[in-house]
Amino acid sequence: MIQLNDIFKYYDNKFQRSYVLKDFCLNINEGEFVSIMGPSGAGKSTLLNIIGMLDVADDGEYFFMDQPAHKLSDKKKVEFHRNYVGFIFQAFHLIDEMTVAENIETPLIYKGVKSKERKAMVADLLDRFNMVAKKDLFPAQLSGGQQQLVGIARAIISKPKLLLADEPTGNLHSDQGKEIMKLLKKLNEEEGITIIQVTHNEEFAQYGKRIIRIEDGMKKSDLPVATLLEQV
Amino acid sequence: MYLLKIAFRNLFQKQQHSITRIISLAAGLAFGILMLSEVFYYYSFDSFYPEASRVYVVQSNARLSDDNAEMDVWDRTSGAIAPGMKDEVPGVEVATRLNSIGNLIFYTADQKSYKGRCVLADEYVYDVIPRNMLVGNAKEAMLKPSNCIISSKIAASMGDDAVGKVIEFRKYPGVQLTVAGVFEALPENSNYKYDVLISMSSIAQFFDWDGSTNWLGNDRYYSCVKLDAGVNPKDLAPAIRKMQEKHQDIIKLEQDHGGELLKYTLIPIQKVYVSRIQGMVIILSTIALAVLFVSLMNYVLLTFSSLINRAKSSAVYKTCGATANDLKKIIFTESFVFFVLALSAALVILMAVKPLVENLVAHSLEATLNQYVLWPIVGVLIIFVLLSSYFPGRFFANIPVSAAFRNYKQKKNKWKLGLLSFQFIGASFILTLLVVVTLQYHKMINADHGYRSQGVYYCSTNGIDGSKLNMIMNELRKLPEVEKVGMGEEVPVYQQSGNNIYSQDGKKDLFNIADFYSVDENYLSILDIDVTNGRDFSTSGINNNDVFISKKCAELLKIHNHWEDGVIGKEIKVSEHQRSTIKGVFDDFIIGSIVEPDKRPSVFFYQSEEGFIRQKEKYPSMEFKLLVQAKTGMEANIRNKIKQVVDMALPNKDAVVRSLEDEQFNGYQAQLSFRNGMLAGNVVVFLITIIGLIGYTSTETTRRSKELAIRRISGASISDLIVNFILELQYLVLPSLLIGLGLAWFILTKWMESFAQKMPLQWWIFLLCSIGILLMVAIIAMIKYSRIASRNPVESLRYE
Ligand SMILES: Nc1ncnc2c1ncn2[C@@H]1O[C@H](COP(=O)(O)OP(=O)(O)OP(=O)(O)O)[C@@H](O)[C@H]1O
Ligand SMILES: [Mg+2]
Repeated sequence: MIQLNDIFKYYDNKFQRSYVLKDFCLNINEGEFVSIMGPSGAGKSTLLNIIGMLDVADDGEYFFMDQPAHKLSDKKKVEFHRNYVGFIFQAFHLIDEMTVAENIETPLIYKGVKSKERKAMVADLLDRFNMVAKKDLFPAQLSGGQQQLVGIARAIISKPKLLLADEPTGNLHSDQGKEIMKLLKKLNEEEGITIIQVTHNEEFAQYGKRIIRIEDGMKKSDLPVATLLEQV
Repeated sequence: MYLLKIAFRNLFQKQQHSITRIISLAAGLAFGILMLSEVFYYYSFDSFYPEASRVYVVQSNARLSDDNAEMDVWDRTSGAIAPGMKDEVPGVEVATRLNSIGNLIFYTADQKSYKGRCVLADEYVYDVIPRNMLVGNAKEAMLKPSNCIISSKIAASMGDDAVGKVIEFRKYPGVQLTVAGVFEALPENSNYKYDVLISMSSIAQFFDWDGSTNWLGNDRYYSCVKLDAGVNPKDLAPAIRKMQEKHQDIIKLEQDHGGELLKYTLIPIQKVYVSRIQGMVIILSTIALAVLFVSLMNYVLLTFSSLINRAKSSAVYKTCGATANDLKKIIFTESFVFFVLALSAALVILMAVKPLVENLVAHSLEATLNQYVLWPIVGVLIIFVLLSSYFPGRFFANIPVSAAFRNYKQKKNKWKLGLLSFQFIGASFILTLLVVVTLQYHKMINADHGYRSQGVYYCSTNGIDGSKLNMIMNELRKLPEVEKVGMGEEVPVYQQSGNNIYSQDGKKDLFNIADFYSVDENYLSILDIDVTNGRDFSTSGINNNDVFISKKCAELLKIHNHWEDGVIGKEIKVSEHQRSTIKGVFDDFIIGSIVEPDKRPSVFFYQSEEGFIRQKEKYPSMEFKLLVQAKTGMEANIRNKIKQVVDMALPNKDAVVRSLEDEQFNGYQAQLSFRNGMLAGNVVVFLITIIGLIGYTSTETTRRSKELAIRRISGASISDLIVNFILELQYLVLPSLLIGLGLAWFILTKWMESFAQKMPLQWWIFLLCSIGILLMVAIIAMIKYSRIASRNPVESLRYE
């Protein structure tokens, strides 16, 4: 599903060029649940943004569902965002001026789903996440965990094939974090959504099936969780 | 709908500057709309006439004296010109002429009094400039002598059945007219207004002399022609010239006077009004556009600042699958909501200041609600909404997503400075205009007009029974407040009608003069007009019809008549008068207002008080003025007392006593309104600029709070920091100032062209305005920055 070949990403400072990603290669198949780990500043978010087509690599090739993403027009990328990719953020990034229901509904609007259908889908999801009572509240009125639930609901409402989560538990305490991780695992297993998450938490990383470690923009290791558990 | 809902919610979010954005937008819109509608209103004049584009007004272009190279242009002609053009100029479909007899008081049989502008018109008047007839037939009425038609407004005040009533004028006792019809009253945006149209064939009842078929002179007729469709008025010039050659013997006249003397041109009726106030239109429209522009820039600046805080939401929308266009739509909807709110606020402001504004512009605001005003305004507003949403929308849509997620902060602030500098340009531009316009205004009203106006009051003798005049004079003289009482036909605050002085052999006219007609022995001393040469009126040996002339007149007479030994004692012949002997010379004074001074030489004819009274007894319609000079310091209640005395001779007790000083001041009403308009514009622009400046400084300080804190930690004192910041701002202000001042200078020289007395555009005015702006910027910046700069640096860093 995802194929990164020799990806470079750098920023030009006044005097030098600093590389965030160096010669990065990666293959992810449909249905995988990958955790990305690494120290701060390693380039994890950058990598995720490139995969999510929010950012472009300076060099290298990127194929998303066999399409050359590095050559796609903005219009095409928006199509991918609408139909195949969902995002979850550490800081939730809900739209403040929208209610819970409206936040969840937003991707459907841009996808062009009819109003009635949208309402039904949102109601369904709220029901599944046990948030029906909160549907008319604004994000500021929710706890962090609840906000992240809304964030996930918004990310999956348009039935994406790929879910990108940048430190989804970073702003939550561990109980809430666990809830979120369980939910992600369930989404991966029951609905077959491919998930790539960035995390600093070893335990949460284990919810995935494969862990990639990055340092200084380079891949240090890439192992299935099963092997890791054996090593322990 | 959905977008609207979100936009409304956004309005109440913090850090949106919603209130300031709306206020500054509303203030700018209110003022801009007002000014623009005023300008469009001027352009709408006379457009209501059907097929107005084919209607033209005939202008006389004439050289008034032989040594004057330039031609004067005015929109009146002699009486025969309009019918002549219809008969002899192919392409003219119909023509009409109107002759105003003034704003007159008239009575119906039941002694009720009315007032209205009365105009003589021929039967073609409604073929050229028609009005809807509510009752009667205009053409028939205008053909019959002693017939008139009245406006619906006057008809309404007369009650039902106005038609058939007989009216009689106070000024022309015995002249009776029958109301034969009612026309729909003229709207306010008509250039040539009238309330009563009187058939031209009644002219002999109002004038001693019928000039309606005159080819030369007596040029007081407003002549309108309607051209055949597709005719270019310029192409008619040869035919008009031929008409002049045939009827005016223009070729011979030109030979006598050496060169082109008189010609007629056609001006579209819709342009007559604007052409008179060209200078003002230029200034008003630039000010309006400047204010709109500044408020637009300010709105965009504040919007940008608020959008930076929302950079993340731009990115979130994109991850939800929104395209750049979707984001632009969000911003457009928001701008639209802001705009609608601001527009409503602007309308509320306009309603609130309506009485004030109507006073200033001297017409009702409703009058501007016509299609010629509304559509252009709507057009301007649409452009305004588009611009106010286009740039922020583009900006919002183009924030890079990955940058937005990593605590997006504007790196550069060049664009902010750019927007701000537009506001400074606007502020310095308009401030300079205001200062110069104000100075010009004061220069005009405080200028020495060359005669006394303070403490001088006057009252018309209209309707006064001549036999009671003597009693009135005595009663007035008995008042303890009264210094002197006199009589005269005219006062210097108004433009005077002209007459010509003939050559000694009576064969040609030498030059045109402003004729003040008769004045009595007290008139000149009441007005403090010194007779510098010859005798005073009060001295003996002066007879009725002796003439006093102005210095300019004396100079011209000396040249034309080769009078090396002076003018006193010489005889002259002035049109409309008998031969008269020059008994004195006085200094020229300002006739009318300084704005459009009547530069002609002037004359007074002497008539004793006794003579005035005898005349009035003989000709009851004769009108002149009773002048009263108050003792110094005793002006308080004198107007009332004068009125009480004069009322004794008026059956309706409706004497109007005017103060010469007020009337003189009124001559500058237009300039005062203009100045006030400018002042309002200035207040608005300054308000907006200050808002913009505050907005800018606060986003700047948050943007740079870290830098500020670090600089303080590294030892910079608060005052260093503030001075530094202010200097940074001033680098921006200075070039803007120069541009603003340059623009102001350009517009002002254009505007000043129309003034006889020009306020010199001295460099210090510009310097002072610049210093003013610089100070304003410095003070605001200082207040804003010192708050931030003195904050504990550690706290600032923690904020990060
Ligand atoms: N716009 C930018 N300009 C300059 N440098 C940038 C920019 N964006 C990212 N970087 C640099 O790229 C590097 C990688 O950033 P990235 O956000 O991918 O790290 P990360 O692994 O997600 O770290 P963290 O765990 O703290 O989130 C960092 O050193 C950062 O300073
Ligand atoms: Mg990161």
